[in-house]
Amino acid sequence: MKIYVSGLYSGGNPQPGVGIVRSLRQGYPNATLTGVEYSNRVSGIHWQDLDDLWIQRPWDELDLESYGAKVKALLDGGAYWISGSDLEAMWLADLFPDGHRNLLAPPMAAFKRIAKPGVEAHEGLPVAIPTHISTDVSDWDLHAFCRRHNWRVWLKGPYYDAARTPSWDVFEAARAALSKVWSTQKLFLQAHVGGYEESVMLSAYRGELLGAVSMRKRDITPEGKTWAGDVCDVPGDFLDPLRRIVRDLNWTGGGELEMVRDPKGQLWLLEWNPRFPAWVHGATIAGTNLPARLVQEASGILARPERADSEEFTRVVLEVPVRADYPLPPLPEPFAGAIGHSMKHPSGLPALAEQLHKNGRAMMDGEDGSADSGGAPAAVPESFLADLAGVDFEQVQTPEFLFFEKTAEGLFRQASERAHRISTNETQVVNAYSIKTNPDPRLIALARKHGFLAEGISLAEIQAALAVGFRTDECILNGPGKWWPRDMLPDGPLHAVFCDSIADLERTVEAMAAGDLAAHHVGVRIRTPNVTSRFGIPLDSPKTFRKLIDGVKRLPQDSKFGIHFHMASSHIGVAQWWHLFESILKWCRSIETLSGRSIEILDMGGGWFPDDWHDGEEGDFARAVDTVRALLPNVRQIVSEPGKAMAQPSMALAMRVLEIQQHEEDHVEAVVDASIAELPMHFFYPHRMLRRCGETGAWQPLRRGKTHLMGRLCMEHDVVAANVQLPEGTRAGDLIIFCDAGGYDRSMSYVFGRG
Amino acid sequence: MYSAADNRLDLIVDEPQILDRPCPSTRWEQFPYSSIAHHGEACCDVAREWVMSYDFAQLNGADAASGPRWLRQKWKWGPSPWPIHWCEAVERDTLDCGALGCMARELFAERGLQSFPAQFVQQYDEGATSQWLGKWDAEQVSTHWIDEDVIYHEACALVSGDGEVKLFDPSAGWWVNSRQAGGGYGGLLAVRLFDGDGRAWRWGRHTLRGDEWTKIAERP
Repeated sequence: MKIYVSGLYSGGNPQPGVGIVRSLRQGYPNATLTGVEYSNRVSGIHWQDLDDLWIQRPWDELDLESYGAKVKALLDGGAYWISGSDLEAMWLADLFPDGHRNLLAPPMAAFKRIAKPGVEAHEGLPVAIPTHISTDVSDWDLHAFCRRHNWRVWLKGPYYDAARTPSWDVFEAARAALSKVWSTQKLFLQAHVGGYEESVMLSAYRGELLGAVSMRKRDITPEGKTWAGDVCDVPGDFLDPLRRIVRDLNWTGGGELEMVRDPKGQLWLLEWNPRFPAWVHGATIAGTNLPARLVQEASGILARPERADSEEFTRVVLEVPVRADYPLPPLPEPFAGAIGHSMKHPSGLPALAEQLHKNGRAMMDGEDGSADSGGAPAAVPESFLADLAGVDFEQVQTPEFLFFEKTAEGLFRQASERAHRISTNETQVVNAYSIKTNPDPRLIALARKHGFLAEGISLAEIQAALAVGFRTDECILNGPGKWWPRDMLPDGPLHAVFCDSIADLERTVEAMAAGDLAAHHVGVRIRTPNVTSRFGIPLDSPKTFRKLIDGVKRLPQDSKFGIHFHMASSHIGVAQWWHLFESILKWCRSIETLSGRSIEILDMGGGWFPDDWHDGEEGDFARAVDTVRALLPNVRQIVSEPGKAMAQPSMALAMRVLEIQQHEEDHVEAVVDASIAELPMHFFYPHRMLRRCGETGAWQPLRRGKTHLMGRLCMEHDVVAANVQLPEGTRAGDLIIFCDAGGYDRSMSYVFGRG
Repeated sequence: MYSAADNRLDLIVDEPQILDRPCPSTRWEQFPYSSIAHHGEACCDVAREWVMSYDFAQLNGADAASGPRWLRQKWKWGPSPWPIHWCEAVERDTLDCGALGCMARELFAERGLQSFPAQFVQQYDEGATSQWLGKWDAEQVSTHWIDEDVIYHEACALVSGDGEVKLFDPSAGWWVNSRQAGGGYGGLLAVRLFDGDGRAWRWGRHTLRGDEWTKIAERP
């Protein structure tokens, strides 16, 4: 009996080939085992249990048609084939649409039903599917997904590869890299599920389940791959539906369901692999030899009895002799001036992916053929278009910020109405406008008009608020540099002052005692542990906590006491922000109990992404007020700081195309007259973009594409957008609007390259 | 057995019964679980409040049933004197399993979950126990927890379902594996959890009766 086994890569993230071979050798000591590989650099080819090797040229050199004919001839000749690679198995399924009795791999229809991330075939199993989103959607929506899931998300390729993307710039870089490696834009983002990883491995022949085992990872590599595990039977509530599903799928071959068990015990299915896992021989050690069962069923030849040596297995690193007829290839020289050898992965699977794409295999991209579409553009609010309609672009000297008056008015009004709605007789909710988000007097005036307080981080900012008409007792002073510039301290009492450190607290106590400072509320800003921040009084040790309690006791009794907490929800994510909010309330309760000072004002910010704030569930905010009242019954006022949520949508940046440069392979670079000096936040979040059609004047939302928008500066990193699709006919002089530029883009923009 | 006539006390030892006792060492059969004391003053109030609030912050929005891994990051496992008070415990660099087990228990309770003190007897070897003896002796704290090649250890049993528990070992920062193959180095030989009413609890394939020692594996 001759059995061909592929997928022999044996690095830190190994393929299962060597494990399959070891298990087959145990079940069939006399079988002829032939290793199949596409590179002589793959170390598994030297494994001693292999009788023979069939080394092919790398996938990017292989003529798939003639190679396919050879494989067919082997199978027709009675040999069996167990694939240790997803992509090879997929190619074989495509090659044999009706299957082949000796091909021990799943049929194409099964592949489609186990496709990530939805894994349609999972229905009936006691598993949940992690929340996911295709990268086909707009960048605006992808950013929202990341925020919603606290930036604990994974960007995954269609076959292999996953990258943790904790920020937008990391996401963009990972998307570009994965798309290039796997020759497709069809990636997806998946919410992280925390817990312990476990797998179920199965073996089936023509829809009959031959066996399955459960394995829990007990040790892992730095990449999270199995290094050790324990093996046990699959429980009945999993096995029974699995048997039905395997029958439905008419599954043949090995398979692995990779899962995570969360702290509540819920299993989450991450993927269903169409092959045995690399730890396959671990199960054989534990007494279940699934590759041998597969061959036994296909061939009718009895395998040797299974033998359990242990319920647990682990890996070790072994040196083995290199086969004389396959000497090691030389190591490529490092690129001149570079570090490392820059070698391609010897499995060569990205090359196979590229081959299959070039051949137009529908299985790679789904049936809609939309593998490389730029997805739908982000929806642009009607109010933006209404504001743009009022701009006389003949008078606009690009690059220029445009004030969206109608949009801003609507946002302030909406925030004000909501604060009013969720206020109660006991607890007033009031908004505060963070002047640093955009000190434009028009926005400060709108804040005042709609009943906001003004929040400044310096006396200069407080003066900016006073200049627009705010009274001192409508101003909140905050931050580590709040006393700068010293001569700008206003005469009247402030609404609230929050101390940023113990030293600041001492200084404030002294200033108030000396009559140099008056405030209706005085309090502290606290910095929660586990969130990286340089602001506020830390709570990360019992010692600092005690200092805080002692400091609070010294605050003047004739001012009301309060606590301030600020953390950008756009940075840490929405759910995480709400957890922090609850955490802060617990700290507040402790501070109140231990210091004996009642907390009467709670100032909660901020840094909300506009959509999360304005379109967020009102119930969340109302519940928050209830929670505050339950935990801190003395709070009379909750100051809510939306941060950039007010300013960001309120302005846009108008720019014009200076030049369009066509490069090789559809690569286009368009130079614009704006730059990172006007869009310093361009890599923190996507901006919705519009182009005005030269002929009709209509506003066209820009889709994602391959064009780079290069800024006007002679700075290498002045790229304001790396992935847009300019509508056909775009030419020099055309107007492009970057929306969502009214927050820190505007307030942190700087003068550069203007002479 | 005491004979007044002979004024003699006979100890009748049924050796097979002793060998079959679930707790492999008699010295821990009736050993109480540890609790951190409170001075009843602000010093311990502040310390305890800090531990509780810090725990909630460290949860990061994860499920309340997640193990308080941060305990092991904050304190190294090592000798600590007994009795110990909250204000003393939080200031130490090292805490022993009794203090960490007590903290874990209090944290689960603060999160609204039901948990019990859990006592373990674990197998090591004399190489390991002699190291620990030296370390604990140097700190002049009790070494009652070491008996030749086995040790007494404390942890926390979290009720995870109807009649079901999971065992969290805060000194290690992990959930104890109920599928453990047997004794051996680091292996669990016996468990006792204190539920106060002697109920039977499922722990993987084992049944643990409250307030009684349950044998998990044979001492090799």
